[in-house]
Amino acid sequence: MSINVSGLVDWQRGHIDRRIFWDPAIYEQELERVFARSWLFVAHESQIEEPGAFVTTYMAQDNVIVARASDRSIKVFLNSCPHRGNRVCFADSGQGRQFTCNYHGWAFGLDGALKRMPKMALYKATPGFRMEDWGLKRARVESYKGLVFATFDEEAPSLGDWLGDFRWYLDAVLDVEEGGTEFLPGGATRSVMNCNWKFPADNFVGDIYHALWTHLGGSEPTLGRHGGVIVENERSWQVSVNGHGWEFNDSFLGNAATMGDREMLRYMKSRQEAITARLGEFRAKMWGSVASANIFPNFSFLPGYFTFRTFQPKGPTKTEIHAWTLVPKNMPDDIKDRFRRGSMRTFSPSGLLEMDDGENWEHSTAANAGFVTRNQRLCYAMAPEGELDDDSLPGTVTLGQLSDANQRLFYKKWAEMMNAETWQDIPLEKPAAPAEAAE
Amino acid sequence: MSGAAASAKPDYSTYPTLDRKARRAAAAALLAMEGGGAPASAADLARIEAFYRMEARLLDEEFYDRWYDLLADDLFYWMPLRENRFRRDNRPSLSADNMAMFDETKADIAVRLGRLASNLVWTEDPPTRHVYLISNVEAFETGTTGEYEVHSAFVQYRNRSEHDEAQLVGRRRDLLRMVGDRIEVAGRLILFPQSVLLTKNLSAFF
Ligand code: FES
Ligand SMILES: [Fe+2]
Repeated sequence: MSINVSGLVDWQRGHIDRRIFWDPAIYEQELERVFARSWLFVAHESQIEEPGAFVTTYMAQDNVIVARASDRSIKVFLNSCPHRGNRVCFADSGQGRQFTCNYHGWAFGLDGALKRMPKMALYKATPGFRMEDWGLKRARVESYKGLVFATFDEEAPSLGDWLGDFRWYLDAVLDVEEGGTEFLPGGATRSVMNCNWKFPADNFVGDIYHALWTHLGGSEPTLGRHGGVIVENERSWQVSVNGHGWEFNDSFLGNAATMGDREMLRYMKSRQEAITARLGEFRAKMWGSVASANIFPNFSFLPGYFTFRTFQPKGPTKTEIHAWTLVPKNMPDDIKDRFRRGSMRTFSPSGLLEMDDGENWEHSTAANAGFVTRNQRLCYAMAPEGELDDDSLPGTVTLGQLSDANQRLFYKKWAEMMNAETWQDIPLEKPAAPAEAAE
Repeated sequence: MSGAAASAKPDYSTYPTLDRKARRAAAAALLAMEGGGAPASAADLARIEAFYRMEARLLDEEFYDRWYDLLADDLFYWMPLRENRFRRDNRPSLSADNMAMFDETKADIAVRLGRLASNLVWTEDPPTRHVYLISNVEAFETGTTGEYEVHSAFVQYRNRSEHDEAQLVGRRRDLLRMVGDRIEVAGRLILFPQSVLLTKNLSAFF
């Protein structure tokens, strides 16, 4: 019996029932209907450059291996042995030719196929046993400009259809320079929060509003009292496509400025002309501006700091943050290092800004232990400006970054997926090849 | 650094810092510390242990300005990320070029203290209560007179609100410098055993 969530999410008015952040049955349904259906971010291609390179990560609570096979293709498969179920690979990253399970020694190739095991003759003598039936379960894999996504759902549309016109906006961080992007070295920065995964995801999809209050202290040392960050509904936008969302202004380096590194800002300015020539004026200004974004359901990033992170669900009230820093490959080494330190010092568990966030999400979650409390609804109603009604920008565009528009559309998509029996019931917006918009 | 000064933004670019080359060199020096030097004299070891007790108390009681004064101008303060890797993996397990939890110079610490002094950090108001325990102290002489390589272990317990607590346990490797009757922290490598930080943040000093 599935739960119909229509009564819990009134996305038009922005009334959200608090039980969706608490109820274990709703969480279980999310694992099945949201996470097991969505294209989930698993790695950046730069993390597994050479054949044999691998990382392990999570797709919701399913642990997976992401490996570069000998033919250079990227394979994603469950990190759980089909023999008795043990975890196969215990390293976060590495290089090898095969993955050998610790329990009885079954060995799997870089594509997840079962290759050999101790006393193989016993299986050879077993009627009906076929090696090809017992590999590690493989996911579908597709990439967009360096970002690798996977899904175990055979019915899911292509990654291109899933991202739709959001790709046009993504290019403002993924395609600013010739040569593509990379993750800075050293693996993911990981930490645990006792919150429901949707609070950080909805924060990144469209809540710049919190920055004006939550992050006052964090931005004070670099930007002066009261942050100095300019957030207005003039010259700023929210865009949403298929539940993915990005709120931003046109400040080009507004987010980056809070890292307080003048050399870094000088470098960014020196690239503005070339980036404008590449992406057009409108998208170029998104590169490092005051902004945040989330790819549905749980893959977020911050332009300017270039922290990319997954909010991995670990239960209805527990979330693990895995974060990396993405830079253009051809950025000078010294500037990359400035971004490494800058993103770490703002958005990591020791970050001057991230340290402000966690307690909010933990207590927004924990309060729902109260029966009366969780039977209240939350207010996602802010809508000071209307939808932009012209075709110059793809997706659903709202003027002004201070609004709850993207968050309502995030919950609209969430409710659609939670209620849908099949992909037939999940509408996706048709990609329109956009004109070089809003020049 | 005081709250009163917060209305005029300090120019942190004038604070003591290290360039990348110096940070890499400092990281290499900390990584090379294996307790190979001659053990420090009993008197010096006692001085160092007393220094650590004082340092921990200054942090517990939020005397951050006084703690800041214990830091050398050429401080490198580093908590690298820990990854789970196979023993056969031949990449260096810790590198100054990798992402880290802390990768700081004295100026960077000043920015952190400026944040706390702003009185605008809601997650530290009401304040967090800390107890910082230091033990297993071993001190060794280095090639430089007055500089000591010091290994220790720590428990950084914190509690805030009602049930919000974390026990952050780890090891430190310090480069301590005796200057007259003062001791300064010139380098600190914080080896934290969790590959996934099992709490929400590292709002603490080590
Ligand atoms: S469980 Fe993996 S080999 Fe038996
Ligand atoms: Fe935030």
